Amino acid sequence: MESSIFLDEVNERQGLFQRRAFLLGGLAGGGLVALGGRLIQLQLIESDRYQLLSEHNQFQFVLSPPPRGLILDREGVVLASNRPDFRLLLAKDDTMDVEAVLANLARLVNLDEAHLQRLKDEIDDAPRKAPVAIVEDMTWEEFSRVNVRAPELPGVTADMGEVRVYPFSGAFAHVIGYVAKVSAQDVTKTGPNADPIMLNPGFRIGKQGVEKAFDLDLRGKAGARKVEVDVKGRVVRQDPRGDIPPTPGAPIRLTLDADVQTRALEVFGEDSGAAVMMDCRSGDILCMLSAPSFDANQFVKGLTRGEYKALAEYDRKPLFNKALTATYPPGSTFKTMVSLAALGHGFDPGRVYVCNRAWSWGGRVWHCDKAHGALNMHDAIRQSCDIYFYQAALTVGPDAIAATARQFGLGEAHDIGIPGQKPGLVPDSDYKRRAFPRDPVWHAGETPSLGIGQGYVSVNALQLCVMASRLANGVTALRPRLVQSIGDVAQPSGAQAPVLTIPRAHIEFVQSAMAAVVASGTAAHYGDIGLGPVKMAGKTGTAQSHNYTGGGAGAHGAQGAWALRDHAWFIAFAPHDDPRYAMSVLVEHGGFGAEAAAPKAAQIMRVALLKDPQVRARITQPMPTGLPPQMSGSAAGGAGPGAPT
Amino acid sequence: MTASAISRPGERDRLIVKLGQIDWLLCLLLSAIAGIGAVMLYSIAGGSWSPWAGRHLILYGVCFALMIAMATVDLRVWFAMAYPVYGLGLLMLAAVAVVGHSTMGAQRWLDVGPIRIQPSEFIKVGLVMALARFYHGLSADRARWSWWLLIPAALIGAPAALVAHQPDLGTAVLIAATGGVMMILAGLSLRAVGVGLLAMGAGVPLAFAFVLKAYQRARLLTFLHPEADRSGAGYHIIQSEIALGSGGLLGKGLGLGTQSQLNFLPEKSTDFIFASMAEELGFLGCATVLALYAAVIVVTLRAAVISHSHFGRLSAAGVAITFALCVLINGAMVMGLAPVVGVPMPLLSFGGTVMITMMAGFALVLSVRVHRYSEVTSGKGAFV
Repeated sequence: MESSIFLDEVNERQGLFQRRAFLLGGLAGGGLVALGGRLIQLQLIESDRYQLLSEHNQFQFVLSPPPRGLILDREGVVLASNRPDFRLLLAKDDTMDVEAVLANLARLVNLDEAHLQRLKDEIDDAPRKAPVAIVEDMTWEEFSRVNVRAPELPGVTADMGEVRVYPFSGAFAHVIGYVAKVSAQDVTKTGPNADPIMLNPGFRIGKQGVEKAFDLDLRGKAGARKVEVDVKGRVVRQDPRGDIPPTPGAPIRLTLDADVQTRALEVFGEDSGAAVMMDCRSGDILCMLSAPSFDANQFVKGLTRGEYKALAEYDRKPLFNKALTATYPPGSTFKTMVSLAALGHGFDPGRVYVCNRAWSWGGRVWHCDKAHGALNMHDAIRQSCDIYFYQAALTVGPDAIAATARQFGLGEAHDIGIPGQKPGLVPDSDYKRRAFPRDPVWHAGETPSLGIGQGYVSVNALQLCVMASRLANGVTALRPRLVQSIGDVAQPSGAQAPVLTIPRAHIEFVQSAMAAVVASGTAAHYGDIGLGPVKMAGKTGTAQSHNYTGGGAGAHGAQGAWALRDHAWFIAFAPHDDPRYAMSVLVEHGGFGAEAAAPKAAQIMRVALLKDPQVRARITQPMPTGLPPQMSGSAAGGAGPGAPT
Repeated sequence: MTASAISRPGERDRLIVKLGQIDWLLCLLLSAIAGIGAVMLYSIAGGSWSPWAGRHLILYGVCFALMIAMATVDLRVWFAMAYPVYGLGLLMLAAVAVVGHSTMGAQRWLDVGPIRIQPSEFIKVGLVMALARFYHGLSADRARWSWWLLIPAALIGAPAALVAHQPDLGTAVLIAATGGVMMILAGLSLRAVGVGLLAMGAGVPLAFAFVLKAYQRARLLTFLHPEADRSGAGYHIIQSEIALGSGGLLGKGLGLGTQSQLNFLPEKSTDFIFASMAEELGFLGCATVLALYAAVIVVTLRAAVISHSHFGRLSAAGVAITFALCVLINGAMVMGLAPVVGVPMPLLSFGGTVMITMMAGFALVLSVRVHRYSEVTSGKGAFV
């Protein structure tokens, strides 16, 4: 391959090369011009569109959960509020090794094995890119420790949320309920247009009581934060100017009184039961307690299986709202209704029956707990004589008794805004016809039981409190009211209600008999509230327990095993001569009503009375002069330890 | 320096004279591009010299010094080294196929002690030199159409096949195209060029169907409809177009490119550096850089045209072709006009081997220009 040295040969190759090199240069230039053209198209002509796309990439709107509305008592004491919550969110993507991240995390914060397992399940279930709250309620030290190590924990972000807190923990657990994490069912139940905030990590909705019933009011409306994110969705910067502030949830003011309610919880101690108190002029519910209770804050955090099991299996049923959901025979408290029905049918209250502890009628023997001798209706109520009321009931029959009882609020579910109420039952001949097709007739033999509040009749504690408050009011068929206002909207007062058709004189007769119950009757001493001239009126009741098969030893089955004893009732109002507060107290398996329930009613009633300035004025009037003036105002003397006992 | 002085015998071999003959305009253009690259790398690292900008500048400085030094090396030495360099490159490519280091599913790297070499880059210069060397001794008739052309075909085909096998389709196409264009420049009959283009038109669909791997097919198809696959292969193209388009006329400003700073842009420091730049510097910045590239190509081709030796002509033109193809392929890819292939933007992109290759190529170009009057004769070189 000798290199040619002929000039023409050289020139031929050179000429060809030069022509083609120019061509090549032209082609390259053309290519570059084409690129320039594309640049013009992208950067000059379509630039607006791409700027928009770039912003879509760069910015995201992150829902910011609204602060949940406060729940207040009638005086503005906070019953449910929010506190800051330092937490960690994990947003998973396809490339993430969840196990490794959690293992890394476990070295920085406290994560036990059970917690880790639950987290893995939650993360697996979470939709792609939806962050999961993996640790909540971190201490500030843990929070800052994780923040510093953030680069080693891809996909993990620390943020500050809010979490519900119930400062009274157990006292209001049944009424107010609690919030808990949104379950998959909660979302599907809401339908196709579920509030997107429900999917926010750590978001909680009301699951019980007021929190559930007024969830939408309390929840408010989610806002949005404009944030700059990187390709992994991590927030790089905030842009506060683009924020849409959330609308906070409306505060809900209840009619409950924190002092009365906490005192009621104290009074019950370990006992199981319920206490409901109403203002018998307005219908406001001041106290609605179910005991024993549970710490609602635990539910906010999420119970472990063991914790839940312990609560669910405890035989005093702390999770059960005994004020609304449980119905029991009203026992002797029902004698007030029988009395009014009889009086309405021309029964002479002076009529005397003789009680010999046993009474034969209809082919069987009816018992009383002792031989009361000859008594009229007033004394029969005072002494709670069963034999008197067997016969009084027979004179009017079930339908009249039922009609009276219904007028006093028994047998109906009262709309106080929260779910889970059982209506109970007020039986009459019509009920017999409907419920017992094979034996559709009310037999006379069934009436005596009704006369002492046993048999088919069943009530809940709220209904008995409504009955007591209507008895105490004497004029209006008061409606119970639990919610005073939602946001700025006041709820209708319970006093705007129909007038009772019972003659005022009949009610005053029963009222005075109830005053006698406490003064010298079955609740003497037990119902003493120790407030001088201000006294309580009441009526005891003992309801045979469903478990009680006659085997309970001793009077009223008060001595046997706890689960076999009778339920104790007490209804009351005070002051007896100028009623302001009415209440019902149930002590499950408490035995004799006077002994178990009346003292509790007295203790709880005292708090309400001492908070009432007018009642206080009556009590403090006879104080000798010269002593420093009593602290005025209501809250000071309330449930405090300094209150006279 | 006057022409008479240059024409004095022996004068041209003096180092000072050679340095004077170096095309400082080309050096300036290259430095400008590398400098813009460094600025961009500094910016997309969030205003930091690490991890890219500092190393980019240092490497460029070292390469620049070496380039000047190599530019003074007599063209006959380059001529003599052509086949050995090519042979070494081919050997390394073969070695990569056997013991190469694999990243992202492709074997492209060779570990030599502490250094990691990418032979597919090395062979680019080797091929240019080897083809120039071969055609230097081939008559115009034989270069037009003869059995002799099987030799350059083999010289091109062997490395292209090995690189395609890695698989690195982009570089394989680049190597084949560079070789092909050099054959045309060397005087391949236009009829043969036409037939070759027709054959390619027929062969590409076949290759597409039977030779390519699934991910390569996906990449190729995706650039036509990037919206069809937003999270996969189309993602790169879409994000790159967004970066370009959102830059507008003047750009978002240095350090303010959200697409690159927030990592929406893939491979922002290497293959997609042009998109990062387009976002932050806008159309004006892009047009400036494209003009710089065009100037480099023109200056390089001019060096080829004025060379008195065929080896010099073809090797300088070969470097220009490689460079131009890199720019065009990368530009088209970034702008959504071509499939996403791993071809970097010369001197702008971060990446050691590519920079070394390119600078070695321009050392050859400078040498061709410095020694443009040198007669290069086969077999009578300085070493052989």
